[in-house]
Amino acid sequence: MSRLLAYIALRPSDALWAVAIGLVAFVLPFAITNGYYINLFILVCLYAGMASAWNILGGMAGQFSLGHTAFFGTGAYTSTLLYVYGGVSPWLGLVAGGLLSMLFAVIIALPAFRMRGVFFAMATLAFGETIRIVLIFSRKFVDMPYGVAINWEPGFARMIFSDASSYALLASSFMVLVTLVAFVISRSYVGAYLRAIRDSEEAAVASGVPMRRYKMLALLVSAFFTSAGGTLLAQYVLYIEPTTVFNIGFSVDLPLMTLLGGVGTVAGPLLGAAIALPLRDILLELFGSAAAGMHLVVYGVVLIVIVIVLPEGLIGGVQKLARAVRRPRGERARAGEASASAEQGGDGDA
Amino acid sequence: MELFLQLFVSGILLGGVYALAALGLNLIFGVAKVVNFAHGEFLMLGMYAGFWLMTLTGVNPYFGAPLIALVFFGLGMLFYLGIMRFTIYKPELTQVFATLGLSIALQNLALVLFSADYRTIQTMPDGYSSLGIGPLHVATDRVIAFGFAMVIFAGVILFLRRTYTGRAIEAISQDLMAARLMGIDSQKIFTITFGLGIAITGLAGGVLVPSFYAFPSIGSFFVLIAFVVVVLGGLGSVTGTIVGGLVLGVIESVFGYFSPDLKEATHFVLLILLLAIRPQGLLGVRGAEKETLK
Repeated sequence: MSRLLAYIALRPSDALWAVAIGLVAFVLPFAITNGYYINLFILVCLYAGMASAWNILGGMAGQFSLGHTAFFGTGAYTSTLLYVYGGVSPWLGLVAGGLLSMLFAVIIALPAFRMRGVFFAMATLAFGETIRIVLIFSRKFVDMPYGVAINWEPGFARMIFSDASSYALLASSFMVLVTLVAFVISRSYVGAYLRAIRDSEEAAVASGVPMRRYKMLALLVSAFFTSAGGTLLAQYVLYIEPTTVFNIGFSVDLPLMTLLGGVGTVAGPLLGAAIALPLRDILLELFGSAAAGMHLVVYGVVLIVIVIVLPEGLIGGVQKLARAVRRPRGERARAGEASASAEQGGDGDA
Repeated sequence: MELFLQLFVSGILLGGVYALAALGLNLIFGVAKVVNFAHGEFLMLGMYAGFWLMTLTGVNPYFGAPLIALVFFGLGMLFYLGIMRFTIYKPELTQVFATLGLSIALQNLALVLFSADYRTIQTMPDGYSSLGIGPLHVATDRVIAFGFAMVIFAGVILFLRRTYTGRAIEAISQDLMAARLMGIDSQKIFTITFGLGIAITGLAGGVLVPSFYAFPSIGSFFVLIAFVVVVLGGLGSVTGTIVGGLVLGVIESVFGYFSPDLKEATHFVLLILLLAIRPQGLLGVRGAEKETLK
């Protein structure tokens, strides 16, 4: 870790980001009193954390997973079953689920890491689906009810709270922790390795990057935190069932949020989650009354438009805009060009 | 023995249908290197097209199939010109999300327009719904759908080998850059390929609605099957698609008989095993799975 930290070159703008994220994460939980908004805040934080975890594998290392629901569901199920049937604290369950998810990650990595791009995506998608089907199938033998409910008994050891602001603080701490991990990875040599693998596996291997080891590292970190998010969400909702926690929709949501904000950047997944979840709510309010599903028609169309107009996400779009504004100024144009390409070289650091 | 023969024949018929459902996906993938995540939704729309054709006009979708194909040919071209054209030379993530966005939109559009009800039609008069061949019994609708699949496959293979446009499509699928240097208009070929791929998919939906229920989210069931068939047979290989479909159909038929609950899981386990052992598929080109698409 110290070796890792020695490589992190802090920039002046980092302090600004740290203050901004800190304010959002540790002030808003106490500032928001409205029940609707605090619920939205909790969900945004949990999804932002998990999207950030996805981004370490999918964005930074370029391994486009569509199977993260397997880790999410494993986290939710492990801690919930341990708690409901064994009385084990969800804090321990979170770790147990995380370890189990990492085991699954190793298993899926064996075949999946031989593939690239959409093939990797299909393999991971199939893996997530297989776990769901096997779980539904195995219920017959263990006499498990369809969904598992958690009794509402507040207590820190039980990770159940009577006030929403405690949940909000827990969720935002989770977001901050994952973001911090993503930041350290992104700025250290590990991030440089991952980006090298993303850009060209051949070139990375030829340059001496231990490719499999670092791909695996990205996958394990990603799996663990996604699984932890599953535990946190289960303890918040207090109910799980296979079709919701092992849902393909979830696997799609994480990359989607990342894409909205900016793939491979540290801030991207946070921005993306903060836009996508409220957007869906707003569309539901605007179009929900027209007909069931109408808001999702609009959501789908909005997605297509965003992907076409802003393929690099909001952060990429803003950077592009900034470059375009700087360019026409005669002599300074060349300098702008140089700094722009420097920015591009260090992408993933926004 | 008779049981196995029955399962085998059912499997072959099912497999032909799966192959037809997957052909459009593989065609578009082979040529434009785009994995269309909205593929299942076009199939679903084809099923509704068949359903409404029969319900509103009384025309059997088997006879209306050319009309459905024509309409979906237009839809496919629109799909390319309106959406995919803007993503074609961008990172594959862009294509994945453009097609995923379309899939969300179409699935929910179907929900808005047609409600979540399960719908099917009866195309055969009473008493003709099943055919007896010796000791075997097969559903007439499946046999007809299988016949459609074989005719379409023969047609597509002939089209690709014998016509100028077909050979231009083959050329682009082999080497986009070289084909463009030879003067092939890639935008035009992409437009035609999307039209053709979606036309086949719509037609497949139309002939499937008598044997499968149509409902808004049926597409996500078929899209995964189509992925398996395509990967099994080999990416970009038309004959591979037939082989992949038949193999999957037989495996599902036999395995499903002994363990119906895990029938669906066979698809995914097969997909993972296959990708691990022979990622290029049975008839695919070696190394295709490692090709960075653009």
